[in-house]
Amino acid sequence: MRQSNTYIIVFTVIMTVIIGGLLSGANQILGPAQKKSIELDTKTQILKAVMKLEEGDDILEIYKLRIRSIVVDYNGDIVEKDEKGNPIEAEKVNVLKNFKKDKENRQLPVFSFVDENDESKVIAYILPTYGKGLWNSISGYIALGADMNTIVGASFGHVQETPGLGARISSDDIQDRFKGKKVYDEAGSVVSVSMQKGEKGGGGAGSIEFYKSDDHKVDGMSGATLTGKGLNAMLAEYFDCYNNYIKKTANAQ
Amino acid sequence: MSEEVKELVVKKSEPLFSKRRKRLVSDPLNDDNPVTVQVLGICSALAVTVKMEPTFIMSIAVVFVIVFANLIISLIRNLVPSRVRIIVQLGVIATLVTLVSEVLKAYNYEMYKVLGAFVGLIITNCIVMGRLEAFAMGNKPYDSVLDGLGSGFGYAWIILAVAFFRELWGSGSVFDFKVFEAIGINNFATNGLMVDSIGAFMILGILIWVQRSKTGYVEH
Amino acid sequence: MELVNIAIKSIFIDNMIFAYFLGMCSFLAVSKKVTTAFGLGAAVVFVLMITAPVNWLIQENILREGALAWISPSLAEVNLEFLQFIMFIAVIAGMVQLVEMIIEKFSPSLYGSLGIFLPLIAVNCSILGASLFMVQKDYGLAESTVYGFGSGIGWMLAIVALAAIREKLKYSNVPDGLKGLGITMLITGLMGIAFKSFIGIAL
Repeated sequence: MRQSNTYIIVFTVIMTVIIGGLLSGANQILGPAQKKSIELDTKTQILKAVMKLEEGDDILEIYKLRIRSIVVDYNGDIVEKDEKGNPIEAEKVNVLKNFKKDKENRQLPVFSFVDENDESKVIAYILPTYGKGLWNSISGYIALGADMNTIVGASFGHVQETPGLGARISSDDIQDRFKGKKVYDEAGSVVSVSMQKGEKGGGGAGSIEFYKSDDHKVDGMSGATLTGKGLNAMLAEYFDCYNNYIKKTANAQ
Repeated sequence: MSEEVKELVVKKSEPLFSKRRKRLVSDPLNDDNPVTVQVLGICSALAVTVKMEPTFIMSIAVVFVIVFANLIISLIRNLVPSRVRIIVQLGVIATLVTLVSEVLKAYNYEMYKVLGAFVGLIITNCIVMGRLEAFAMGNKPYDSVLDGLGSGFGYAWIILAVAFFRELWGSGSVFDFKVFEAIGINNFATNGLMVDSIGAFMILGILIWVQRSKTGYVEH
Repeated sequence: MELVNIAIKSIFIDNMIFAYFLGMCSFLAVSKKVTTAFGLGAAVVFVLMITAPVNWLIQENILREGALAWISPSLAEVNLEFLQFIMFIAVIAGMVQLVEMIIEKFSPSLYGSLGIFLPLIAVNCSILGASLFMVQKDYGLAESTVYGFGSGIGWMLAIVALAAIREKLKYSNVPDGLKGLGITMLITGLMGIAFKSFIGIAL
């Protein structure tokens, strides 16, 4: 009896129903918690670019208070609806998906970090970036000051850069090196910021002190030149993407 | 394996922790370890062992999946048509793994991102499949649970051992605690090879050597 | 060009065995003879090449958030991604069954030598792994097919090379405890170092 076709079919159907029901039930129950985790994760990443977060901070509350978000296109115009007419939410824009498109077709989110008391006063503009490291993708948020030229903060993440070497891009030590660097030169064209082959030590050419005074160069990570190159390419690409938006906003000020 | 199973004809009113049942749990820990002796489940044993923390989460996930898969399959073993048993087993495992992955996504998103596709790969962890096929299909639920616990922990301690050495030498830490800085060595040179897949192969190879020299097991 | 890059990358740099440790069970168990290893490798390539695009179609048309919109716009909110694992593994198990039947019919000798290992392909991590990675990397249909193919070739390359080494290894004097699995792991590690040299290729 156990080998007859009818039995097998009935057994399979019952099993499919049980498994399907179980899984969709679990999904229904856990769905809200999952959405919350993802939201929390995204918002933490964004905030980390401009402020140090402490354990126990109410991320969602801070985010609601301090961050205003929009989505722009390559020309620097605000986009509110996608091709199908659905409203776009800056937090939900998939940076990886947009990375694969041509620059002209990308949706580019901008997160404005506003003053605690005065909502109209923007302290920093946080721009998401995405690129390729040595092993896998790297991504991050880079924050420009109110002048839209000086970098005031950065937070980088990576999928699997070499721990102790390339993976250091996610450490405060490296991210702080970007602070105070400039994106544009005096003539107003994008120079971006680039990591050099670094950490030579001493005080001469190529040391940390040496690059501190340079507007566009950052001391690199020893042993992780390729991750650094990926980072440079990522920044250059995204400063170019946001160039039109930055120019427009800066002119309007 | 099959002879062993035949030996284990259950006598009536056996004590809850009889000698035989204890062996179900203790054998896979050493003499019959699923990783080092039976050569199963190596895939996930290596991929997540760069650091202790993801390895620990992975171990818990595998123990959970293997115990419950063993239990469920053992409960329905007399109902499963033998022609479709592989797909039934895979279905049960995949369901449990999905549950683990969903829970992880909801309550520990950080780890969910780190482990990524490797949680899904528990489905194809040969240990789970192997235990279902070799044990749960022919034994009572309680014994199957014990067997699952044994195999699960046998797997767990091996990958935790591999992860310990890889994280210690590769990142200079244990559970992200900087060991060398704590004892005053500030410029400990980490070994890039340990972080790499190669380190995992080497560590596991040596671990197998040490363990087999102790148990005297020789492969022919 | 992008496709060639993906192929080269998946064969040499992101090699399923040396970079991701996927498909190790059969890699270790069936690598004693070159001919058997080659047969299993070919079967893996074949299965991967079919399952990657099929799973891609399922992911894009059924599972992804909003993917069901083609049936009716009211389903645009549905996200069935929690069924991903079970769908993927079902496709893979089905495909393996198919390959098994084809090989049995056309090459009984190969079927005889692969024996019990064919069903094992279903639990070969590299097959499921390729499908999951392809989703993670957000590949398109063509890219997924090439990725599946490349991963399979990379896996085959690794297992055939290991089998060739192990055939010679029979004549060497290996310490007792290291015999079999132990020495194989160490050899795999050394092969991995060799494969690391491909990283230098700029793609």
